[in-house]
Amino acid sequence: MMTVLSGKSKTWILMVAALFSAAVFLPQALHAEESYTFDLSETEKKPYHFGGYIEAKPVNFWTDHDAALYKLKFYNRDEGKTLQEYNFKLQLEGSYEKDITRFYFKTNTDYKNSYLGNDEESTFYEAYLTLKPSPSVKVDAGKRTFKWGKGYAWNPAAFIDRPKDPDDPEVGLEGFIGLSADYVKSFEGPLKTFAATPVLIPVTKEINKDFGKRDYLNLAGKLYFLLYDTDIDMMFLTGGSKTTRYGADFSRNITTNWEIHGELAYILAYQRTFIDQSGMIHTDEYNAVSYLLGTRYLTARDTTFIFEYYHNGTGFTENEVTDYFKFINNGYETYLNTGNDTALQRATTLTENNYGRVNPMRDYLYLRIIQKEPFDILYFSPAVTTILNLNDRSFNISPEIVYTRITNLELRLKAGFIVGAADTEYGEKAYDYRLEFRAGYYF
Amino acid sequence: MLNILVTFVVFVSLIMTGPAFAIDGTQLLKQVDRNLNPESYEMYRKLINVEPNGAKKEYTLFSVKKGADKIAALFLAPASEKGRSTLRLGDNMWLYIPNVGKPIRITSLQSVVGGVFNNADILNLDYSAEYNVEKLDESGKEYLLFLKAKTREVAYDRLKMWVDKTKRLPTKIECLTEANMLIKTLYFKDHKDFGGGITRPSVIETDSPLYKGYKSIMIFAKIKQKNFRDEVFTLNFMSNIDSLR
Repeated sequence: MMTVLSGKSKTWILMVAALFSAAVFLPQALHAEESYTFDLSETEKKPYHFGGYIEAKPVNFWTDHDAALYKLKFYNRDEGKTLQEYNFKLQLEGSYEKDITRFYFKTNTDYKNSYLGNDEESTFYEAYLTLKPSPSVKVDAGKRTFKWGKGYAWNPAAFIDRPKDPDDPEVGLEGFIGLSADYVKSFEGPLKTFAATPVLIPVTKEINKDFGKRDYLNLAGKLYFLLYDTDIDMMFLTGGSKTTRYGADFSRNITTNWEIHGELAYILAYQRTFIDQSGMIHTDEYNAVSYLLGTRYLTARDTTFIFEYYHNGTGFTENEVTDYFKFINNGYETYLNTGNDTALQRATTLTENNYGRVNPMRDYLYLRIIQKEPFDILYFSPAVTTILNLNDRSFNISPEIVYTRITNLELRLKAGFIVGAADTEYGEKAYDYRLEFRAGYYF
Repeated sequence: MLNILVTFVVFVSLIMTGPAFAIDGTQLLKQVDRNLNPESYEMYRKLINVEPNGAKKEYTLFSVKKGADKIAALFLAPASEKGRSTLRLGDNMWLYIPNVGKPIRITSLQSVVGGVFNNADILNLDYSAEYNVEKLDESGKEYLLFLKAKTREVAYDRLKMWVDKTKRLPTKIECLTEANMLIKTLYFKDHKDFGGGITRPSVIETDSPLYKGYKSIMIFAKIKQKNFRDEVFTLNFMSNIDSLR
């Protein structure tokens, strides 16, 4: 299929190519020969720290006008064959430490310029106080992330974290407000470490509103064991905002270049809402089991493979998703014939936090291949990532190149190609291809 | 009779004292370990990756070690790496990235900094903890130790270590595969008195036939004997290593 580039897209691509080339070739001129010195002032510790990260990320989408999600989003507007988005991010972080006390914060500001206009959102990702009376005991109070689970792309057992984006799993996320403690003990013998982490998370109309049902005090906990060189976690969440759930995970190195991991979640009385093609809403309730098995393997040629299989017990079946897309398509036909968009509005509501969540179906494969510094080019890492929906055989594939030659500057050029038939998860996405450039600078 | 007795005593004495004059490779390796670092210590290091055109990238680390198999390192600079920490417990290694928020298992052959040094070089344990001495040669002012990894989990299957006879410190180490293929060479340079009885090379330089023209340098500072609780070397503590400084 041949795609015609609009003038805007051409300018955008040229701009990205110029920036990337400049960044790759300029530094060689910037760094003259210097002697190897170690200024000891670099090792002095200050009680405070302040730093941050700033990012620019323009994205170009090539839209698919026949896709159900395009129709749902753009049924009453024509935005052409391509869409541009200009994203900017600013994160500030700081800490102050005195004796056994430490305060830490991290803010996040996202600014987006897109076909919808300008949008800005600022929030504290984390802001908490830590008391550390000994290396064995720690208490945290405030907003923080916990990041439970061992999966790279998905974490079904991360009960008290926001879901991460498998397309960009290393991006920082916003935390929840809570009170947590850590107790850790080391031993000689097969059990090398034991740790216990109890967490309290209140949900009211003021705080943690998006955690779950309001006016509950939730209790979560995690036990960690380093047993026979294997990381093992067992976790739970109960309290009312979400139904009670239990989880476990493990991770271990098989050899110097091979790691395996797994994760399991058992969710009691999970409630699901879905729609049939006539627009009837159905709900069901069951005990859901989600699990993940994964591995990370490094070859002698410095190629890293990350491979994961994920079963999402809370996901939709192929028929349920087909019905959802059919409902959208029927609603779109009705809109074209009558101008009535009630069905599409309804589908929009149902999409949010439901069909619209990341990877909403049952079974997925994830594969990421990273080649470190090919052709002896230091700090240059090409990678390719694919997520395959095993239920409907649709998938996306994302090649990327990352260049980190300049200290504190990270450049990434990433493309995304979506492949899938009609009524499949990826086949019905609003775009066919995307190209994004990310320039991030740490200070 | 007296002559026979004297001859016998001298003969027996020679047999008994003979081994004391021979160099025991294992003992020598242990001595090299202790001369390089106290068994438990804290220290600062700077890693510099140098490209063929002279361009450099630098990292500053704070490291703590306890006993034979526990070591942790925290990145202090540059800003893009600040707060990252690595932990090694025997053959287990983890990397903590503040943004990712949880420790992930890494392998010894990967490199958290890029360049010629890999994770096993950055989180190196005592040589005698990971290697057996297969053979010991002498040449001029140096001993040459042929080391073989105790397990398959060790990053390099074989090492050839040249040791200064007087100082009992390494001058050069070649890291080899099982098939004797050279992976990299470490050069120990610039002896310095760090105080507390620690005098050792303050610079390790490395190059590799796998990265032609590139080299990496490790500069040491403020090596101090210090004891830590075992709980410091746990996943839960990885985000708090800075509190030890």
